[in-house]
Amino acid sequence: MAKVIEARKLAKRYKGAVEALREISFEVDENEFFIIMGPSGCGKSTLLRIIAGILDYDSGELYIKGEDMKNVPPHRRDVSMMLENFALFPHMTVYENIAFGLRMLGKDKDEIDREVRKMTRLLHIEGLEERMPNEISGGQRQRVALARALIIRPSVLLLDEPLSHVDYRLQRKFAEMLKEVHREIGGVFMLTTHDQEHGLSLADRMLIMNSGLVEQIGTPTEIYNDPQTLFAARFVGELNTFAGTVEEISPDAVWVKTEFGTFKARHPATENARDLVGRRVAYIVRPEHVRVSREDSGQDNRLSVYFNTYYYFGHFLELVFSADAQTRVKSVISANEPFTAKVGEQLTLTWPYTKATIVSKPSVVEGVDIEELIYGK
Amino acid sequence: MSTRPPKIMNYILLLPGLLVIAFFLVIPLLLTVVISFMQEFSFTNPIFTVENYIEFFTSPQTPTILANTFGMSLLASLVALLVGYPAAYFMTFRIKSIKTRNLIISLLLVPFLIDWNVRTIAWIPILGESGIVNYLLQYFNIVHQPVSLLFSRWTLIIIWLQSNLLFMIFPIYLALSRIDPDLINAARVLKSPPHRVFYEIIFKLSLPGVIVGLTFVFVNTLGDYITPSLWAGGIQVLGLSVANFAANFVWPYAATQSTVLILISLAVLVILFKIVDIKKLVE
Ligand SMILES: Nc1ncnc2c1ncn2[C@@H]1O[C@H](COP(=O)(O)OP(=O)(O)O)[C@@H](O)[C@H]1O
Ligand SMILES: [Mg+2]
Repeated sequence: MAKVIEARKLAKRYKGAVEALREISFEVDENEFFIIMGPSGCGKSTLLRIIAGILDYDSGELYIKGEDMKNVPPHRRDVSMMLENFALFPHMTVYENIAFGLRMLGKDKDEIDREVRKMTRLLHIEGLEERMPNEISGGQRQRVALARALIIRPSVLLLDEPLSHVDYRLQRKFAEMLKEVHREIGGVFMLTTHDQEHGLSLADRMLIMNSGLVEQIGTPTEIYNDPQTLFAARFVGELNTFAGTVEEISPDAVWVKTEFGTFKARHPATENARDLVGRRVAYIVRPEHVRVSREDSGQDNRLSVYFNTYYYFGHFLELVFSADAQTRVKSVISANEPFTAKVGEQLTLTWPYTKATIVSKPSVVEGVDIEELIYGK
Repeated sequence: MSTRPPKIMNYILLLPGLLVIAFFLVIPLLLTVVISFMQEFSFTNPIFTVENYIEFFTSPQTPTILANTFGMSLLASLVALLVGYPAAYFMTFRIKSIKTRNLIISLLLVPFLIDWNVRTIAWIPILGESGIVNYLLQYFNIVHQPVSLLFSRWTLIIIWLQSNLLFMIFPIYLALSRIDPDLINAARVLKSPPHRVFYEIIFKLSLPGVIVGLTFVFVNTLGDYITPSLWAGGIQVLGLSVANFAANFVWPYAATQSTVLILISLAVLVILFKIVDIKKLVE
């Protein structure tokens, strides 16, 4: 399939300041919902602005639908963008804001009117047309900004942290609306977020970014289950991590010696386990695979812990245990599962080796130590 | 709970300022209006009449005086806008370093440290018959005889431009520098070519600054009758006429002319501020 966006070794350094992008390469396919995820300051906005054409890149190449974008101004690109903070025009009504792009494209009044009406219906903002941007709520501003960016029907719609500037309840509602709008209208949606929940649930594919570098590109399940780096693993969800040394491998399993005993895991999907024998690695298992067992259940991995506390989330329960004074281990169970334990009670945690794996790289960023990433400073 | 003083205290703080305005602005203005309706200047035995107004509006000189007064001020305001807007734009969007910007603003202020008379007379060695401009014109063989550059309407415009430009540049600069760059970026990604970005976003959002600048220059030049009387080659303006009548103690007629001047200025200001929402200036 044709690539809509092709970025090759894109680099950007702000004057006298940090390297915001350090040779980033990736491709986006037609109709993909592509999510750029990473901590604040990692270069997400920089990347989106470069694709939109409102920021120049220093080196590398950028192609949109096969066309080199060097020196192509933003108004000649088949790209639209919803900026961080929405940037609604304060001197124009909601209607004028939404209609702006079509007016710039020289469409006639009737067509603009029809399209604006379609957009307001699609995004449920009918009746606000004559208001000014400062006369509507944050959630409405968010949808007006989306309508304004979407109305020109670009091949690529860039959304810079569209979920960050409204309260949590509206975030989820807007996220679901985005997914539906994408299904209805199509095209590439490229969205940045620092929130793992939105990232995982919306993306067809995602790119995990850190300090201007790519940690991993893949589908949400690929990254969640087979992370290439400990940073990527941590960024997409809760994780139990133990530092250890690879002791032994078999054709389908690896054994890692940690300070809590030797644990068994499956082979990592993204590296060759044979090269890792004798190396320091992170042994990782997600909390939903960890179970409390009071009798010997014959599982592959067992760990003796003390019950610490729990967090109730309505549909699930997060249990926190201590393996030693510093090391916390988490287990996530359905809220319907019966669980009772006294604080300080000694219990045994188990998990199947097929649900655990190892990661040898802490991060793509140089100079990060794996033990440091596991235990903190 | 906040420890804000009760509401009335807030207004008490305004009192000194209000008193100054009342004594030095409102009362004299009211007196001017009252005097303009007097037959003779006398508060002990006043006879009120509209005679002065009839005389003013039927005088054959009045149309010329009004056209000169408001025409020249309007022209000066527009010329200042045409020169000042690009300067403010350049300062905001082309000069990235805040230090350089502040330096330029300081340099624009320098002429105001020089006495008004000196500043005005300094035009003689520039525009006079043996001044720099004439020297250059002859040096490059553009003219063979010195031309008279002083004492014309354009001299007045140039001098007014010099003394008023800052009042135009500054409010526009403030308005421009308050524009969020992302509004410009939003317009660009929404398919605006550069000239439409300028008109739709930059110019429209700077309109409050433009209006304030126009107001400053317009009011400033309207009240200035000395510069026209010195440099404009003897054109009659309303302020000068007021001064002449007042100097001859024909106070009621001077007051009539003053009242007309103030009313027309107010009307112009009201129209200007109708164009933009004054609230946008302060929000
Ligand atoms: N205009 C700028 N000038 C200098 N540095 C900048 C500028 N914009 C962003 N940066 C820096 O570049 C890095 C990446 O910024 P950004 O792309 O905004 O990150 P994100 O959107 O992921 O939070 C940050 O370290 C930030 O401080
Ligand atoms: Mg950002």
